[in-house]
Amino acid sequence: MDPNRQGARASYVALLIFVALWILVPSAVRRFNREAFVEFQAPALHLLGKSRELATFWEKKSRSVEEMAAAGRDLARINAALEIQIHKFEDIRRENVRLREITRYNVPAEYMSVVARVATRDSSSWWQRIVIRKGRNDGIRPGAPVVFGNTVVGRVTAVHLTTSEVDLVTSPGFRCTAYLEGDDQNHIVLVNGVASNSLGTAKARVSVIPRDYFMPAGQPARVFTTGMGGVFPSRLMLGYLDGGTYATQVGNFKESLLMPSRDLYNLQEVSVLVPLHQNPGEALMQGDQFQ
Amino acid sequence: MKESSDMHVLPSTPVDRLRLYGVFFFFLAGFLYVIGGLVYRQLIQSNELKDQSDTQSRRVVLRPPARGRIYDRNGFPLVDNRARWSVKADLASLQKEFRAEYLRMLAAEKAREAVSIDREKLLEDARVRVLQGWLNKVWFVIDETNRNTKGRKPLTKLTPVTAPAERQINITELRKHLRERRALPFTLVNDLAFPGTGQALTADDGTKSVARFIEQFPVEGPIRLEQDIVRTYPYGAMAAHVLGYVKDTDALPDNVDDISEVRVESMQKLRYTGKTGAAGVELSYNNVLSGRSGWELWSKTSSGYNQTRLKYSEPEQGGNVMLSLDYRIQQATESGLAKLKDPQGNLLPAAAVMIDVHTGEILALASQPSFDPNQLADRVSSKYYDQIEESGGWLNRTTQGLYPPGSTFKVITATAGMRKKVVDWDDVLDCGAFFRVGNRDYPEHEPVGYGEVNLDKMLAVSCNVWNYQIGIRTGIEALAAEARRFGLDTPLLQTVSDFETGGQPMTELPYAASRGLVVPDREYKLRVGAGAWTDGDTANLSIGQGYLLTTPLHMACVAASIARGETRTAPSIIHSLERTGRHPGALPIGLNAEQLASLRGGMVRCVEEGTARVARIPGLPYAGKTGTSEYFKKGEKAHLAWMIGYAPADYPVVAFAVLVEGQSDTNTWGGKTAGPVAKEMLEAWWPIAVKANLDDKPKAPR
Amino acid sequence: MGWAWLFLLLATYPWLLGADLASDTLASSSLIFFVSGTCLVAPCRRLKRWQAVLFAAGIGFLFEARRPIPDGALALSLVAIAIFLSSNRQLIRNTPGMLRAAAIVNVGTCLIWFLASSYGSPSPATDLAGQLIFQLLLAVVAGTLGLIPIALTQNAVLDRLNVPPAPDTP
Repeated sequence: MDPNRQGARASYVALLIFVALWILVPSAVRRFNREAFVEFQAPALHLLGKSRELATFWEKKSRSVEEMAAAGRDLARINAALEIQIHKFEDIRRENVRLREITRYNVPAEYMSVVARVATRDSSSWWQRIVIRKGRNDGIRPGAPVVFGNTVVGRVTAVHLTTSEVDLVTSPGFRCTAYLEGDDQNHIVLVNGVASNSLGTAKARVSVIPRDYFMPAGQPARVFTTGMGGVFPSRLMLGYLDGGTYATQVGNFKESLLMPSRDLYNLQEVSVLVPLHQNPGEALMQGDQFQ
Repeated sequence: MKESSDMHVLPSTPVDRLRLYGVFFFFLAGFLYVIGGLVYRQLIQSNELKDQSDTQSRRVVLRPPARGRIYDRNGFPLVDNRARWSVKADLASLQKEFRAEYLRMLAAEKAREAVSIDREKLLEDARVRVLQGWLNKVWFVIDETNRNTKGRKPLTKLTPVTAPAERQINITELRKHLRERRALPFTLVNDLAFPGTGQALTADDGTKSVARFIEQFPVEGPIRLEQDIVRTYPYGAMAAHVLGYVKDTDALPDNVDDISEVRVESMQKLRYTGKTGAAGVELSYNNVLSGRSGWELWSKTSSGYNQTRLKYSEPEQGGNVMLSLDYRIQQATESGLAKLKDPQGNLLPAAAVMIDVHTGEILALASQPSFDPNQLADRVSSKYYDQIEESGGWLNRTTQGLYPPGSTFKVITATAGMRKKVVDWDDVLDCGAFFRVGNRDYPEHEPVGYGEVNLDKMLAVSCNVWNYQIGIRTGIEALAAEARRFGLDTPLLQTVSDFETGGQPMTELPYAASRGLVVPDREYKLRVGAGAWTDGDTANLSIGQGYLLTTPLHMACVAASIARGETRTAPSIIHSLERTGRHPGALPIGLNAEQLASLRGGMVRCVEEGTARVARIPGLPYAGKTGTSEYFKKGEKAHLAWMIGYAPADYPVVAFAVLVEGQSDTNTWGGKTAGPVAKEMLEAWWPIAVKANLDDKPKAPR
Repeated sequence: MGWAWLFLLLATYPWLLGADLASDTLASSSLIFFVSGTCLVAPCRRLKRWQAVLFAAGIGFLFEARRPIPDGALALSLVAIAIFLSSNRQLIRNTPGMLRAAAIVNVGTCLIWFLASSYGSPSPATDLAGQLIFQLLLAVVAGTLGLIPIALTQNAVLDRLNVPPAPDTP
């Protein structure tokens, strides 16, 4: 009798019993277990991100002086152009404030913007997500929209102490409303992440497009957020309607694919727009029924 | 480095092998099981039908198609479809929750030591409770008042007493659903954009609650978001009597011939509720508008829920219909009518119509009071239904309302007289304050009379005595024949074939008056048992009173016919470029040039300086004839105000008729009451016509 | 040495992190370098069974923590495999055996992970067959190539912890 075998059967039985217990145990226990392992890994993720930044830093450092000088010159030009724009926007902002005062239309700043660096990306056939290096400690809450510039990146799905997971626009758990460029009547359409095709770029699905909608000629139609659902601010870019496959008829509507406007896998930094007030959806998400 | 380089063979006692294989097979079986699951779930699922012959385990689900659009003559959509977002609960995936709730309630019952436990009832209560929980969550998200919830607030709990109906699970509906459509998801919120019935929401609010649900409600779980199409009438109540409305139907067209490989007859069919036309063009062109249903072939589970969609075909939208209406004129017409109110501020029942003189196409057709088809398109509240019923809003007064035409009939009396040669255009008659027929005085509406009156002046001032004289001279036979020659007893609007209606053939606007039209004569009076015809009856008929009954549309056609110098005009509600301007049954009017010119001139004078002068439009000379007739409304004598005419005077393009039902105590006069409506219609039409002349054809803005 | 499994876990973690980092570059193709199965092979030769079980559970939960798959699906499968391997050490006694075991175990656990995500996801993914084949091929390659450095690290740690060498190694 091989000494290794002793108690093997008992171990299998013990495992089966454990599996049964594991299934029956309250979900809070499993959640706690998961949380614990996440927090265990958090420092490593931070370290990973930082080391990557260090690598970038050294890579930049190795650039020649001439290169840097050229880049600095270009930057100065861009800065000058932006300077002018800032003044213009300032005028517009004042005008806006004045008009609001006249009409007594008060819109409080609804979002607090938290800038976060990307730690890792993780994608599979079922989800596309990134891990960012900001978490509960930084005031991030689940359900908050994540943007880069005026582009929607995704939505926070899980928040840990110092890290958070963000479902990208192309992830199946992502859903929001949008307007299409070239639709004068502003019908709302549905944007839904889809599981990716093998090795292909992940895309999202745009559905419930009115049948009489046609893309503006000669350019890919842009897709914007509506700002109606109380989650995303209005007029943020979601991406473009995919020209190749656009508008297949599904039922009484058309459907198309959405190409994210940026390479979501090469982002280094994103902003999380944390709503100042909790919305009902967030309250529901914290309920036990929704993991 | 402890790596062994020993290539020693494995210990190979039979027991060891056996155990090894045992474990190996255990794992293999496990892997095969999960791989099988994957293959089934992800690969086979969408591919093909497993078993061709088995109809027991399958069902067909029929999905209604979108109905076609209805456009006005310039291509503006008068009836459109909009996306409706509804929230549905997938009963199959809620089974576990039902069961858990049921067991909990059962335990509670047992703990109470209840004498008899009605398990059936308990199970139903459990279902209702679970669904109610989900419905509360949906409302929690879409209700804008919950916007800034600080901290964790309990979900809004409404007691059954305080909750409005739409926030409660309707038990009767749930029972019906479980009985008849168990496999289809149960509707929690029928229309997210208008979640509360009878709640006045702007389009913006509606979009908001849809968007709030989409962005805030969890994607996973048994609650689904579904989209379909509902009928929408962008202009609300405008032209409601022409457009009609739609109602629910369970009888979708069975469009399953494409899946002939499956024995369809024996298979269970489930239908989503579809829509069918219930009035107006929606009804008469139902078959054109309805399209073809889509179908889905599903396999079902043993408990009757849907399992896998095996095959499907998309629904096909119905065809479009282009009406002859011009929505701008229609709007002006209705706004003109809406200004007619009784002293209490209630809308007066009224009708107005404008037709193209040459083609007979109807440019505007309004009937007041009306209804909003949007409110009827989906789940009619019985309150709204009763409200329309009470106001008499269902009746299309333009095509179905039967009224004595009053003085507007005088143009026919005059034509009859001239054709019978009892009077000519330049004959002058002495017209006093009344005219004696037999032993009764028939009065003039002007107490002192008009004195010397010729045709021209008769039409301008609407002199009754002239008509009494000419009517009696002409005689009832010729007078009635003339009215018939103008088609007053002929039903209007051509009949649409049963192919297009999808049922029995009917007129373009359903149920247009046909049997009730009356052009009285001797036989008629005998037939209705009112005795022998008298000269008094002839006098009455000559001013459009008495037994004569016709519709406003008929009178508009009379005006159009006179404008063309013919007797008949065939109106149509459908816009077609192929109309020739020939009208079936139309004959030349039978007057010489002077007579016709005088008849028309009198109508022009009527507007310029006569009874219709309040409706004068500077720069647009047109012909008109007013009328004020008496009728009995709820046993009381009341006045009807009429005005017919055509414009412009010299080269007629459109003809119109306006009718207003006055109340018994208001003073309703043809020119004064109906005139402003006619004026408003013409003022809306005139710039369009001028512009059309300039750039050929009006264009839709897209 | 009762805590050997924990130290071993800490020593193995950088390799898992490294695999994640490498997967990061593949993110747009939705593939990952899966090495969790490979990590089991060397420890199962030397650790006591209960230690191997704890080690396997740790590896599994670390992988699962940030991925939306049913809790424990991967961890408990790894535990089952750890029990099997530590009861049949003769299968992994020599290098070819270890390589073979690494490939099989890694592919098997990768498959479990794939299926677990499939069941856990709200909507069925399309065109999974190709994706699965690529993922499994990658698991074979990563599993066998990864075994040598991982096993070297793990053995070095075990030596340092004075864990006796695999008993049936001559």
